[in-house]
Amino acid sequence: MKGTFSWKWAVLALSVAALVAVGCAKKQTVKSEGAPGAPEAAVTPAPPAVGEAPMKEAPPAPMAVTPATPPAAAPGVAVTEEKMSQFDDVRFDFDRSEVKEDGRKTCQAVADYLKKNPNAKLLIEGHCDERGTSEYNMALGERRATAVMTYLVSLGVPEAALSTVSFGKEKPLDPGHDEGAWAKNRRAHFVLK
Amino acid sequence: MNRSIGAAAGAFLLLLSLFPSPAFPVLYIDINAPGGKRMPIAVADVAVGPGDPSLSRGIPKILSDDLALTDLFDLIPPTAHMETVTAAHFSGKPLSFPGWKMIGAEAVVVGNVSVRGDRLSIEMRLYDATQGTLLVGKRYTGTPGQLRSIVHRFANEIVYTFTGVRGVFGTEIAFTARSGRSRGKELYIVGMDGQDLRKVTDNRSFNLFPRWSADGRWLAYTSYRTGTPHVYLRNVTTGAEKEVIRFGGSKAPGGFSPDGVWLYAGVSQSGNSDIYRVRVVGGTAEKVVDGWGLEVSPSPSPDGRRIAFVSDRGGSPQVYVKTVGVAGETRISSGTNYATSPSWSPAGDRIAYTARSGGRFVIASVAPDGSGVREVASAADGDCEDPSFSPDGRSLVYTYRKRGYSALKIISTDGRRQRTLVSGLGDAGSPAWSPGR
Repeated sequence: MKGTFSWKWAVLALSVAALVAVGCAKKQTVKSEGAPGAPEAAVTPAPPAVGEAPMKEAPPAPMAVTPATPPAAAPGVAVTEEKMSQFDDVRFDFDRSEVKEDGRKTCQAVADYLKKNPNAKLLIEGHCDERGTSEYNMALGERRATAVMTYLVSLGVPEAALSTVSFGKEKPLDPGHDEGAWAKNRRAHFVLK
Repeated sequence: MNRSIGAAAGAFLLLLSLFPSPAFPVLYIDINAPGGKRMPIAVADVAVGPGDPSLSRGIPKILSDDLALTDLFDLIPPTAHMETVTAAHFSGKPLSFPGWKMIGAEAVVVGNVSVRGDRLSIEMRLYDATQGTLLVGKRYTGTPGQLRSIVHRFANEIVYTFTGVRGVFGTEIAFTARSGRSRGKELYIVGMDGQDLRKVTDNRSFNLFPRWSADGRWLAYTSYRTGTPHVYLRNVTTGAEKEVIRFGGSKAPGGFSPDGVWLYAGVSQSGNSDIYRVRVVGGTAEKVVDGWGLEVSPSPSPDGRRIAFVSDRGGSPQVYVKTVGVAGETRISSGTNYATSPSWSPAGDRIAYTARSGGRFVIASVAPDGSGVREVASAADGDCEDPSFSPDGRSLVYTYRKRGYSALKIISTDGRRQRTLVSGLGDAGSPAWSPGR
């Protein structure tokens, strides 16, 4: 009984609410909204309180932020420049990373040098031609550099003397856009450190 | 008893707020109807209180340029407008709707702006001119520097009102390009309207593969600034940075999980690239996809449960889909010997990728189960690569290359509209569209 009574009141309340809501909807109301990164505007204009900084400047809570690295590259590092090498580049076929016959000859010369100069450290750069996606080429360049490293190790070069870095398609030797240029750019490049 | 009344009324009001437009707008644009009817709309010169009088034309210009980027509106030129909008129209004076109807407008946008010192206040209203009813009205406050983003927001309201899908005005595209004489690549950001181009990094090394966090505040990217590649997170607003991936050789971030917890990336170890994910707050990396091939370019699905990625395990690079943490991976690209750089659509129903076709690269898309492959963008004289979906899923930004020339282009997913976003920067590429604003 009591339940029914409450229910009637609820229905009445709903009807009233509906009437009020419809009335509101018919009125030409304008919603107030803050600009992106700006304080939400109150319906009655209030002066912006000091300290209500734009939200964009507050980093998300869980993120620990360290200052940006200084813009200049570290001393001695200019990764965008082609380093001169006393060794030929090892060249690759499109989308491949096998060391071919002429590349093996180059690797033999590199291995002979490193065995005579046991203190030498060699960086092997992997590069790709401009075709295809940057990310895939970045991984492909790493695989090429590693293939050369593995071959040098098989020739008796200690692994500790070798390191690799991939530049993908970002650092072409030949800026051309034909098969001649692409063939030169699919390469492993040796840099004595 | 009072409590039950309150609860019932509360429930009703909650329902109202769930359906914010109880009176469904009479004017509606069907975005799925090819070549459908465009909405004739007039954007009136805004009333300027205190403030630069040039805002009167400047604000409608920003708004009209936005609306013109869609194929949804016919903009009625200001020279045809017959009524001058004043502040009085925002305090009870009705617009002369027959006059607007006479010049062909079915919708009218009016505004009232004032600038007091560093405080900008704008009220914008969209009317149905045929019925003389207010469709949406908003009042914005901010600084004069936020003018463009405020107007973009109202442009998004207009698109939402007529289509039910929020517009993407004010969103941005991050990308990479050569900088000046340097051979390096820097990160750049540009507005989706081609405005506000700015350089993000300036360290004269290689800065690559920008990827937005789900909240749009952070960019993950690979930088060679120390001589070897590491992945960094950068706060887009403050420039604060944090190194997140240091292990391994080559590395490229692919995307964030939608909850912002994980960053997915391809990382090479011993020449073999696999897919990992790292917590953005720090911690050890988890391997997500293992294999003897090159696994790169992870793109998380909008629900965060799956990833699309590239693997050359079958002899050539192809796109695969995997449920994170569950064994088994499904190849979804087909009919090409080179498929890379997948990008999952915001609705989750399509995956766009770069495909090699007839010696050129084109943009293709496919359902996540591998069905319904179709070409989205191609060029007879060049390559199309690296697609990234807009937050409304209606467009893709991609790289167009022809020999030495490159540009960023935007194409509607139905292929009907295309425009150049960025040109004239060397080797522009790797575009990533920011989340909605």
